Amino acid sequence: MTGEGRKAAVTHLAYLDAGSGSLIVQAVVGGVAGVAVAAKLYWRRLVTRFRRQPTDQG
Amino acid sequence: MTVPDTGVRVEPGSFRDPGNRVFHRAGEVLRGLDERSARDWRALSASDLFRDLTAAGHLVGTEELVPTPVDVPWAAVLRHDRIPFVSHPYEWSYAMLRDAALLHLDVLRAALEAGFTTKDGSAYNVQWRGARPVFIDVGSFEALRDGEPWAGYRQFCQTLLYPLLIQAHLGLDFQPFLRARIDGVEPDQMRRLFAGTRRWRAGVPTHVHLHGAMQARHADASSSDVRAQLRAAGFSRELALATVRGLTRLVRRLDHRPGDSHWTDYQRTCAYSVPDRQAKEDFVDRAAAATAPHSALDLGANDGRYARIAARHAAYVVAVEQDPGVVDVLYRALRDEGEGRILPLVMDLADPSPGGGWRGVERAAFVDRARADLVLALALVHHLAIGRNVPLPDVLDQLAALTEPGGSLVVEFVHPDDPMARRLLANKPDGLFPDYRWDAFEALLARRGRVVARAELPSGTRTLYQVVMGG
Ligand SMILES: C[S@@+](CC[C@H](N)C(=O)[O-])C[C@H]1O[C@@H](n2cnc3c(N)ncnc32)[C@H](O)[C@@H]1O
Repeated sequence: MTGEGRKAAVTHLAYLDAGSGSLIVQAVVGGVAGVAVAAKLYWRRLVTRFRRQPTDQG
Repeated sequence: MTVPDTGVRVEPGSFRDPGNRVFHRAGEVLRGLDERSARDWRALSASDLFRDLTAAGHLVGTEELVPTPVDVPWAAVLRHDRIPFVSHPYEWSYAMLRDAALLHLDVLRAALEAGFTTKDGSAYNVQWRGARPVFIDVGSFEALRDGEPWAGYRQFCQTLLYPLLIQAHLGLDFQPFLRARIDGVEPDQMRRLFAGTRRWRAGVPTHVHLHGAMQARHADASSSDVRAQLRAAGFSRELALATVRGLTRLVRRLDHRPGDSHWTDYQRTCAYSVPDRQAKEDFVDRAAAATAPHSALDLGANDGRYARIAARHAAYVVAVEQDPGVVDVLYRALRDEGEGRILPLVMDLADPSPGGGWRGVERAAFVDRARADLVLALALVHHLAIGRNVPLPDVLDQLAALTEPGGSLVVEFVHPDDPMARRLLANKPDGLFPDYRWDAFEALLARRGRVVARAELPSGTRTLYQVVMGG
């Protein structure tokens, strides 16, 4: 239930704004290959964050 | 009007994409394109995609004005075939919305295969020629950048898929949802509607719950970053196509029929005797022939019997009916006949579509779109005057306002002692409608136009009039 109500701003996306979440979910909807893409995306993000963390806290 | 001198009228419903804009001039529907949109158009118009979609009637006929007019601020100007009557998705029946969704997906699939995509995914990209949907937003095509998901998916969900899910899974009419929200229903709202065990219905776990959760989670991420990340992670055109196939399968599965409603078997249960019906059909046919109308409106059209008679003489007929189930049955019948000149619409005439969107003019109100040379109001007036308590003079004012000057109104008066009128009156306090009488009705008609034909039906409780409206 993260963000329900709290992030009401997401519901007012601009007309030609594809919406970040809406882009990612399409990968998942596209079947097994898509899930793999989404997983890779998250994995890369995780790694990036992990690498950055020490400096981020400074 | 700000620029009456050049005769240009900018279409108030076309400003969401700053790169191109529809305007009207001298009866023509034109679209101005900026440099970038002009490049997209030239790539599109040179493609097989454009040729095939146009030939199949899936894309509105479009050509470029050469040379480009110099008195407008655009890099290129297109001329579109005119859509005979512009309607809004909340005026469509369920099967119409579903067919519009399928057309949009089909156009997108063909585009992706040809190396194009569409910038958006809105139900408003589709209009109708009779019972045939047509994609009108030629400005929406652009070159596909490989590795990118469909930018229109969110809009497709909000204006097409979600309304279909609401009706198919919950049995709620979708029209009020779309009428109330110009951008459609948001994932966040959908999640609340589809809580509990409903979350497992077809299409709901992914397109509603996962989608909503992802939006909330990525609210702060910019979509260009996400695009780049998806491309780096290997998103491909094949994946985009798989998504479109999945959506198409889902929409096909949502083959729901709005319940058999009260009027669906009207033609079977109504009070018409065979001689009455024959006399009525003859009268309408003669009145339509005498009017030789370009456009016709059938108000309270039910199964469309009289809309079809009007279509013998008119170039285009809009058949308006309040009952969404009845309109759905009519639409399916017309679609299966391949009818291109009768457009069925869901509309309560006691509460017709108001103007909507920016300044209330982005989506034009029904009464501002619907003037016709021939207006049929058959066995309708008693529904408004008795059923909805609209004063009889106001009913006639509205009918007159819908009829072009010099055009014909064909109206049926159901006498208070007719069984159908009695049924409506029985639900109201006694003596509530003292003015609902044929002599009062005729006096009101005479004040608004010239009665050129009049016929009493054999049963003796119904009278038909053809009135040529002032001018
Ligand atoms: C008695 S039937 C007449 C059908 C057809 N016009 C005929 O003459 O056989 C009345 C029709 O008008 C429709 N109707 C009643 N009130 C309406 C309203 N406020 N707006 C639009 N349609 C309405 C009903 O749903 C029904 O289909």
